[in-house]
Amino acid sequence: MGCSSSLPDRSPGRVGGLNPDNGGDSDAKNLRVKLVLLGDSGVGKSCIVLRFVRGQFDPTSKVTVGASFLSQTIALQDSTTVKFEIWDTAGQERYAALAPLYYRGAAVGVIVYDITNPDSFHKAQYWVKELQKHGSPDIVLALVGNKADLQEKREVSVQAGIEYAEKNGMFFIETSAKTADNINQLFEEIAKRLPRPSPS
Amino acid sequence: MAETESYPPIDPTNFDLIVVGTGLPESIIAAAASTAGKTVLHLDPNPFYGSHYSSLTLQDLVSFLNSHSEIPKTNSLQSDDTTIVDVNTRPLYSDVEISSYDDSLEEHSRKFNLDLCGPRVLFCADLSVNLLLQSTANQYVEFKNIDASYVGDGNGNLMNVPDSKSAVFKDKTLEYSEKNQLNSFFKLVQGHLEAVKSVDVVIDAEKIISDDDLESPFVGFLDKMKLPPKIKSIILYAIAMVDYDQDAGESCKDILKTREGIDRLGLYHSSVGRFPNALGSLIYPIYGQGELPQAFCRRAAVKGCLYVLRMPVISILLNKDSGNYRGVKLVSGQELSSDKLVMDPSFTITSSKCLQNISKLARGICITKSSLKPDISNCLVIYPPRSLYPDQATSIRILQLGSNLAVCPSGMFVFYISVVCDDALEGKKSLHAAIDGLFSVHTDQTDSNELKPTLLWSALYIQDLIEGSVGPVVTTPTPDGNLNYNNLLDATSMLFKKLYPDDEFFPETSNTDSSDKLEDDSEVVLDS
Repeated sequence: MGCSSSLPDRSPGRVGGLNPDNGGDSDAKNLRVKLVLLGDSGVGKSCIVLRFVRGQFDPTSKVTVGASFLSQTIALQDSTTVKFEIWDTAGQERYAALAPLYYRGAAVGVIVYDITNPDSFHKAQYWVKELQKHGSPDIVLALVGNKADLQEKREVSVQAGIEYAEKNGMFFIETSAKTADNINQLFEEIAKRLPRPSPS
Repeated sequence: MAETESYPPIDPTNFDLIVVGTGLPESIIAAAASTAGKTVLHLDPNPFYGSHYSSLTLQDLVSFLNSHSEIPKTNSLQSDDTTIVDVNTRPLYSDVEISSYDDSLEEHSRKFNLDLCGPRVLFCADLSVNLLLQSTANQYVEFKNIDASYVGDGNGNLMNVPDSKSAVFKDKTLEYSEKNQLNSFFKLVQGHLEAVKSVDVVIDAEKIISDDDLESPFVGFLDKMKLPPKIKSIILYAIAMVDYDQDAGESCKDILKTREGIDRLGLYHSSVGRFPNALGSLIYPIYGQGELPQAFCRRAAVKGCLYVLRMPVISILLNKDSGNYRGVKLVSGQELSSDKLVMDPSFTITSSKCLQNISKLARGICITKSSLKPDISNCLVIYPPRSLYPDQATSIRILQLGSNLAVCPSGMFVFYISVVCDDALEGKKSLHAAIDGLFSVHTDQTDSNELKPTLLWSALYIQDLIEGSVGPVVTTPTPDGNLNYNNLLDATSMLFKKLYPDDEFFPETSNTDSSDKLEDDSEVVLDS
């Protein structure tokens, strides 16, 4: 694979990606981080993002097309802010064709499965391994059991999620993009766990 | 994962366009077609993106070069209404020569992102940067400067390329009169380009270069301007990036006209100023050139293109009567149909056609633990024709990259060398001359006071140059011998226009603030 675990240094001379969004750069008070979503098709990755960023839920949304990434800023109690630049898989996960470019520089990996679908939980474990392989070593990982509103159809126990997350040093939460349950908590919890740059 | 081993069935089974191979031209076509609303399936037999434009680990690079230098076999079958033609792999590389002088490199294999199509850079004002901005694929890639350019000679000297007014001013190797000559020449070119651009102003005949001059050889024009040989050489080979010896007279294969020469100078100079924080005119993508096809593939995916890697196409289905393209058969046995098919040049269905007179290109990749210049990490070196040995017919270009571009482990440097050539022998001779000029080899017990970097590893190979073509299927071009992507992108947009004459190649979005956004995009912000 054409990928590497070496990271570029942050020395001057970097032409900021010809990137319009690079203006508000990270400092100790205002973090800007890339967050990548992973998980099987149909587990609700995009729904989680749409709920978090726009407060919407669209039960008819099928395969992600159109959005390259969305961003949302949250303010924490210690008066710091975190701007998440949220990358969606754009469907490239469907046949396991995510590019190394997707993982580059990601500070957060959110791996989503569907609590009513044991297969998606199994696949989540594949994505965790992919992230451990391609992602940066200090990436913050979250395991998310989505569709928690469908309790009667549950096939993956809370305990199974907790155990797997603990074993892999991940933060675990169950959410419902449909009812908005735990969605903000997910991102707040991630924000708290981000390594802070030392004030200079 | 089991699913990647067994071939998954692809759903749906009918598309507007199927693209095979994820090199830069294929990825741009996939992105452009998806943007135009076509349904696109993008396949690659490899487990990675980029095909012949990818950046690979040390191990993967070696196995890719070796596997694409073997000669395959061919045959075709007929059924009731369909002709099934086998897809053959055309070997693009030959004379692959890998030398390793340090076994410890293998351990770091995964920390390398080695370009197959190097040396390659982007000029800040060139087509590739414009296309990245226009397609918004620029959101996915970050760049750094190439810090300096040098012209080398046979004695191991590297002379700074004074490529701008301030560089001329600071230069220590030029004499006062030479500085004046160079500056007034730059001024003349600048004045000409500005006068030509401002259409509605009455053209000041004094300021523009006459048509006679524009149609004559650039080298003659430089003589007419009384530029000394040293400066002529810098302008021709290190700024206009000409391949062939322009002083060879009629035996020169490709004489640059003044018009083209002035345009290339113009590109170079507008590149210097385009992004306030990009010093110099050249930039390089962090993690390697292989990021560019990935960025366009993500752009395509965002627009609905379906991606499947590790999926070889084994045959093409043609209509028996008309010979028109109908679809493809995958290695899984599944048959898919589409209106159109685009394939990368390593795949061919016309193997019987003799492929004589294919142009060749010699490429080399070298790894060292030190830089050519102690305080410079990323730089370009040009050896103009005849600078290394008397019958050196073409210029040799070398790009040195350091670990701050995430292409190698820290403390190491990667060098890409390329030269156009008539045959493998000539190409290898040029590569070896450049390597001997730049590096010392472990086995050398010669003068120990030499400060040349020690060569740890090298891969030399000859690449066939194949241009894009339109037939029952569309074939994309192989990487060319140029330093930037301009010609390849021209060829790619031509192919797109032939595929979809009624569709625009990455239209400017109708979104009202898009023009403002483009302005913003052009602001490059330094990541500190």
